[in-house]
Amino acid sequence: MKPVSASPLSPSVKVKLLNAGFLTSEELLQLKPLQLSKEGGLSLEEALEVQQILREGVDLPGEGGAGLGSTALELLQQEERSIVTFCSSLDAALGGGVPVGKTTELCGTPGMGKTQLCLQLCIDVQIPECFGGLGGEAVFVDTEGSLVAQRVADMAQAAVQHCCLQDQDAEQRDALKDFTTESLLGHLYLMRCHDYVELLAQVQLLPDFLVKNPKVRLLVIDSLAFPFRRHFEDLSVRTRLLSGLAQQLIRMASQHRVAVVWTNQMTSQLRGGQWELVPALGESWGHSATQRLLLHWSGGRRLASVFKSPSQSESSVAYSVTREGFRDAGPLASSPSGREQDSSSQSESRQVSSSQSGSKRPRTQEGQ
Amino acid sequence: MSIEQLELNPRIIKAVNNANIGVARDILKFSGPDLQRLTRLSASDVHHLQTAVAALFCKKTPVSALQLYRGECPEWDCGLRVSLGCPVLDGVLRGGLLPWGLTELAGPSGAGKSQLAMQLCLSVQYPVQYGGLGSGALYICTEDSFPIRRLKQLQNEQPSLRSDVPPDVVSSICFSDNIYVEHAADLGALMACVSQRVPVLLAQGRVRLLVVDSVAALFRSEFQADQGLERSRHLTAFATALHKLSASYQLPILCVNQVTDVMEGDSNHDAGPVDSKVVPALGMAWANQVMVRLMVTRLPGAVSMGTQSSARRRLEVVFAPHLARDSCLFGVWREGTRGCSNSILVLY
Repeated sequence: MKPVSASPLSPSVKVKLLNAGFLTSEELLQLKPLQLSKEGGLSLEEALEVQQILREGVDLPGEGGAGLGSTALELLQQEERSIVTFCSSLDAALGGGVPVGKTTELCGTPGMGKTQLCLQLCIDVQIPECFGGLGGEAVFVDTEGSLVAQRVADMAQAAVQHCCLQDQDAEQRDALKDFTTESLLGHLYLMRCHDYVELLAQVQLLPDFLVKNPKVRLLVIDSLAFPFRRHFEDLSVRTRLLSGLAQQLIRMASQHRVAVVWTNQMTSQLRGGQWELVPALGESWGHSATQRLLLHWSGGRRLASVFKSPSQSESSVAYSVTREGFRDAGPLASSPSGREQDSSSQSESRQVSSSQSGSKRPRTQEGQ
Repeated sequence: MSIEQLELNPRIIKAVNNANIGVARDILKFSGPDLQRLTRLSASDVHHLQTAVAALFCKKTPVSALQLYRGECPEWDCGLRVSLGCPVLDGVLRGGLLPWGLTELAGPSGAGKSQLAMQLCLSVQYPVQYGGLGSGALYICTEDSFPIRRLKQLQNEQPSLRSDVPPDVVSSICFSDNIYVEHAADLGALMACVSQRVPVLLAQGRVRLLVVDSVAALFRSEFQADQGLERSRHLTAFATALHKLSASYQLPILCVNQVTDVMEGDSNHDAGPVDSKVVPALGMAWANQVMVRLMVTRLPGAVSMGTQSSARRRLEVVFAPHLARDSCLFGVWREGTRGCSNSILVLY
């Protein structure tokens, strides 16, 4: 029994029907169109349309499941696995990785590795299930032009090598045949948006894309802040657009079982007479994501801090960005004077650092 | 774009027109329930409407990273790079400058920023197989007058800098005819230049590189210390104009920037393991607009090659979406800027 008030009819028609005493859609469907138009005070055309809509049982994105509650037990059983980051301490801080079905915001100044973490997730979400991954696909919405094919290919190659080096059983050997750089790149879908209107349009079309590509488990928007941080004379319009966008993203995350990850910039703000760096897009935006992660420097180390999360305690962990991708901070990078890539020069030191990062292969399979 | 042009049921179009929603893009700014209320349409009609309008603004279908990697998307990353004209410098940048987006080159005066920028204006003119884009360059000066004599010298010395290119190819390019120079003495002139004059020139298709030397000069001189907000508003507007140019004409943009001293104990400028005491100028508002940040510094000591010697300098990648933090030493020679390989003696 679906109530009229929860049906996808236009509001004016709903009011007329409710005033006429109709409560459920079944009552409406039992009548002939002519009767309905008389009793409901609708035109015949409207009455026909009402019945058509209800018969189709149109399940619109966002309307589906309206009125259906689920118990906490069902929700717990639905809790899906997370996408590992290839940085085991960050995985631990996030309780296993970036959660599917939820939204995650990455904040940080330029050069901290936001895009690198996003790309790493796009690769990691595709790790076969027998290796403890999700065997999914990924969508990357690029608003800054910061996606460079060369870099994605580097990371994909490193991930393939990493999995090849694991101890394997028969099933894993079989899975590895299809786990190649080509397939990793082939299942990463890219979209480019040049301004906020294009981004809003893209987000509007994404639910249909996710229906057509049901294996997609990760949606990345890098960056969400960039198109919204220019030419807005009226900030209240921006706030309204952003809150609408956040709702759409949250809905997509839960309905299509994808992890939604977006990046945000940092901005200087005057607080108590002192300038300090805070995430951009305003105070109210801070509530949009399920969890927020701040990437920042601290004494020569890259730190990732979980500073909003309903399930994890606040913590900071060290990480590094290497040629292979987003990784644990090695002993080299954790000393205050250490550097991931020795800048004092050239090919010799480059070989040294790459062999070091090769030897500290990250642990990624939480379940094994 | 008006709503009439959409392929929709006339009934929906009529309802939208009655609701007084001006242009199609405004539809995207409303949520589904808002549109239902405004147009009195049913939820499914509103969904059709939203999808139709959204499709209007997303004409390109999603591509896979594999297509991108294979160079099947010429309007995006097709693997091309603009060579700097020296294999050592190109090595640090993995082939050269990305042919789109904003690349920043920051450094103190005398570090070799303009030298690198000028060299890029020459090397962009080579055909694609020699690391160029086969097209001219536009150079916007805001600080000094354009060093035309030095350009002449670089041009004459091209055969010795680019020994990898056959001499007849080098001699067939008329370098100075393809470099357009603009001067902007104040912020108004700079904005007018990038928003009006530059698009006209780009529309002719003869320019595939824009150099702004430098962004810092005008923004630093025209605003007082207490006008921070005003400055960042103008900076964002300027950067937006540049991004627009870059996107509509597939144009790489090199912005030369000055540096500023790091204040002791200023935690906001914790830029990681950078040992230098300077950071690029213009703060976070500008940094957020930059895709690739390179820094050049002048080091004590000298380097020598043959009979020439030059001050020791360093080119450093501060951040880039596709590069590791890396650096190399270089010198500025008569024939141009060259990184230090084995043939160059480093003197301390």
